[in-house]
Amino acid sequence: MADGPTVALDGFGAEQGFEVLAEGARIAAADGIRLRVFGPERELGLDGVDGVEVVPTAEWIGNEEDPVPAVRAKKQASVVRAARDVSEGESAAMVSPGSTGATMAAATFGLRRLKGVQRPALAVRLPVPGKPVLFLDVGANVEVRAQHLVQFAFLGAAFSEAVLGVAGPRVGLLSVGEESGKGREEVSGAHALLSEAEGIAFAGNVEGGDLPGGAADVVVTDGFTGNVALKLMEGTAKTVTGAIRDAARSNPLATLGGLLLRPALGGLRRELHPDTTGGAILLGLRGIAVVGHGSAGAEGIANAVRLAARCVEVDAVGRTAALLERGGATRGAMARESGA
Amino acid sequence: MNKDEVFDLVRGHLAEELEVDPGKIGEGTRFKQDLDADSLDLYELVMELEDNYGISVSEQQAARIETVGDAVAFVLEHSPA
Repeated sequence: MADGPTVALDGFGAEQGFEVLAEGARIAAADGIRLRVFGPERELGLDGVDGVEVVPTAEWIGNEEDPVPAVRAKKQASVVRAARDVSEGESAAMVSPGSTGATMAAATFGLRRLKGVQRPALAVRLPVPGKPVLFLDVGANVEVRAQHLVQFAFLGAAFSEAVLGVAGPRVGLLSVGEESGKGREEVSGAHALLSEAEGIAFAGNVEGGDLPGGAADVVVTDGFTGNVALKLMEGTAKTVTGAIRDAARSNPLATLGGLLLRPALGGLRRELHPDTTGGAILLGLRGIAVVGHGSAGAEGIANAVRLAARCVEVDAVGRTAALLERGGATRGAMARESGA
Repeated sequence: MNKDEVFDLVRGHLAEELEVDPGKIGEGTRFKQDLDADSLDLYELVMELEDNYGISVSEQQAARIETVGDAVAFVLEHSPA
């Protein structure tokens, strides 16, 4: 029986179609999470599934549409309705596997920013084997100021502690060198502010190579750099995985070695698979919004819903607000500190 | 609805969201230069006005709203009530 939080799921946008999305909903519901799915009833075929309610919705926002105008104009689109469901208290969190831009816009306008947060940031848990590394921003803000990066650090630290269970997470600032003066003006400015900040364990600058190495528990950067770095890591991992598979099939001896390694590599493969992390989360809002991986399978959809439900259960929003306040990292506090 | 009511709503929204002293917000206050508001802040204000007053603000119209007084005047001119 469903007794967990209620999650609003955007029924459109899954690249693999309604069947895969519906199967993901069934898997999550079996965990006890209640779902309100905004999409076409007949295509979803979720009638009678315990814990799942389909809210008939015919309109959606596609990847090709300009997100902000589309969200403002299409009040009945599935992702907009899912966000409204959270703001009206019907659901406790939202998940969309559709357009990332539309999800960010719908969530930002629908759920609204946490008091004192200037820019929400998109965060992902990097699939680093055995050690969660939270990386943000991976696409919400192409241009940032030093104060934005400082807020990202607090948003990431709060999420890492509350949701990923990392005690006293160390936060690094992505730059081109470990020395404090390295990097663009906003990066060196953020370094100076974070060095003085209370309530956060600042680990200083980290370089690109340190990201998958786990030099810090949380790594902060702007959305442009973060998105490029994330895609680079995903592409590299895919290429290397393919090369290992080809090498393992190159001759009988290698094939035998590959077979012996298969059980161990299977677990690693699952850990590295994008479906495992459940997608990205938009931090800094007054509610929970998870952006599912566009190509997610049923397990990926289910994990995105599980991630949203877990955020609700551990009060990720409340703990984030408290850390921002405690660390003097709200917009007003930082403006007063800088004398503005 | 009169001018003062709309002004109070705009000022209250900005003071709350931007964490600034409401006493520092007047009709001539410029969003970007005086309040350090960015495009996201302005979109949120526009949506708040749309929700409260039943108006519709296009992208082009929103781009021309630069001061608190501009926002108040726009609402008074376009509100159906």
